[in-house]
Amino acid sequence: MGETLHNVMLLAPEVCITLFLCLLFIVDGLFPSLRSNRFPMILTVVACIASMILTAKVGKTPAAFFGGIVVNDGFTTFFRYLFFFTAAVSSYVAFGSTEVEAKSRIEFSLLLLCVTVGMSLMASASNLLVLYMGIEMVSIISFVMAGFRRDNLRSNEASFKYLVFGGVASALMIYGFSLIYGLTGSLNYSQIGASLIAAQGNVGLITWLALVLIYSGLAYKISAFPMHFWAPDVYEGAPTPITAFFSVGPKAAGFAALLRILLTVFAVKTGDGNWKAVEGLSFTAIIAVISAATMIVGNLSALGQTNVKRILAYSSIAHVGYMLMGLVTLDRSGITAIIFYLIAYCAMNIGAFWVVGVVSNIRGREDLEAFRGIGWSMPVLGTCMAIFIFSLTGIPMFSGFIGKFLIFGSVIKSGGFLWLALLGVLNSVVSLYYYVKILKSMWLDKPATEESLRLPFYHAVGLVGLAIPTIVLGLYFTPILEFAEKTLATLL
Amino acid sequence: MNFSISITYWSHFVVISMFALGLLGFLLRKNAIVVLMSIELMLNAVNLLLIETSMRTNTPEGIILVVFVITVAAAEVAVGLGIVLNLYRLKGTVKLDHFRNLQG
Repeated sequence: MGETLHNVMLLAPEVCITLFLCLLFIVDGLFPSLRSNRFPMILTVVACIASMILTAKVGKTPAAFFGGIVVNDGFTTFFRYLFFFTAAVSSYVAFGSTEVEAKSRIEFSLLLLCVTVGMSLMASASNLLVLYMGIEMVSIISFVMAGFRRDNLRSNEASFKYLVFGGVASALMIYGFSLIYGLTGSLNYSQIGASLIAAQGNVGLITWLALVLIYSGLAYKISAFPMHFWAPDVYEGAPTPITAFFSVGPKAAGFAALLRILLTVFAVKTGDGNWKAVEGLSFTAIIAVISAATMIVGNLSALGQTNVKRILAYSSIAHVGYMLMGLVTLDRSGITAIIFYLIAYCAMNIGAFWVVGVVSNIRGREDLEAFRGIGWSMPVLGTCMAIFIFSLTGIPMFSGFIGKFLIFGSVIKSGGFLWLALLGVLNSVVSLYYYVKILKSMWLDKPATEESLRLPFYHAVGLVGLAIPTIVLGLYFTPILEFAEKTLATLL
Repeated sequence: MNFSISITYWSHFVVISMFALGLLGFLLRKNAIVVLMSIELMLNAVNLLLIETSMRTNTPEGIILVVFVITVAAAEVAVGLGIVLNLYRLKGTVKLDHFRNLQG
């Protein structure tokens, strides 16, 4: 009993979010009038902040608990911070948008908190069963969130596409789990890893098949090639604040799960703090090809698009390609770079989608035409968008540049995959074309009609709040980098 | 011993057939409900494999996972049918050919 209680204490951030969720339910039942004002948002943000404080408290000593099926190490702690921050920002974005109707705001907050618990479960899972539960908790609630506007056909269509591809991806993944379970007789990461090492290279084709199947399930979550095709449709159809959340939260959770499973099950730690693929399963070349394919598909598909939401959706696919590049070297600097990139990506991508959401609320659509001259009528919005776009492109002085620099640097330093680094640089150049198209529309084209638009103070505060870290991380990034390294040092 | 090996062999054959049927159904069928059924078929094929493995290796984890998979699949289908119902309400059909609003 005492031990169980201690284990639950280590899960305090998730428990805290769940309690706030229950509180929301109760308050909504008792005071129905509160549901349409900003009360649910305030409660969501408070829940996220409380959970961050608890994360800092429980994250001090790395530990595996509940019999080793959940781990609480630096890696978990980092991702918990990221998820709670994303959830808090997303709820702030959503409550300023007309796409999330006032009457259903409380549902939004409930679903968002549920997904957050699922995401942090994904990051801390050290057992295939827990990982499966985390992924499904995120997936199923994401389907509902994508179809949030019940009377909008596009929203529902996005939701259905998300659901069908999600179902297939999770079926493929669970098939991979069952093969691994059949081969090693266990679902625990540590035991599976031990069995794979004990096989001493004699792993056979079935293990490869299992690896590929598990990858395809997680690739769906991070929208990497070849499971990326749902992303543009879902991102376009879902309400914009929810798209902003999808493009960061579940994607980071997918990365957390992918990194943990690849680094602790299919790779072994070497003495110098780097990793080495398990004998007979050297997957790095495959990751390199996937990373290249993801970048190319994302960037080339974005070139011909006119819908800004779709452009950003393809760009988010391309960014997954860049991030996967950090995994091919399996060394500490590459993984650190991925973690840094996730932080930078979180701020700039939510910001970019936020701007799209604000514009689409004003103009009622989100193609390039809707952005005409909006920089001149709303300078704060235009400047913030310029910062996010420059950062997404990877122009020096912005956080995206540092992220790309670290990732390309780690690949070049290792020497094995020079072509990949070169391809990454080329892709960044190509991406400049479609990013600049958005900026050109905003700043260089004159507005069609003279109109006086004013950016609400509510949005201005948030956008500037995301633009500041995007710039600061581009200039003064050492503390975050040290934090990322510390995160990895305690990976269990 | 021979008997158990032959059971393994045949159960794998059944599992792979069921999974492939589900995948084909997902790729080829145009009715939203049938697509959901195909996904169920794939998940149930995996369940079969998990149960078989659990019996063979004499470990309980597989069966525990099956219970979770069944529960999650039920939740997924509940959400899926809800969405299909909503699509039908908005468009009057569940044929997937009619849903082509999201293309770049």
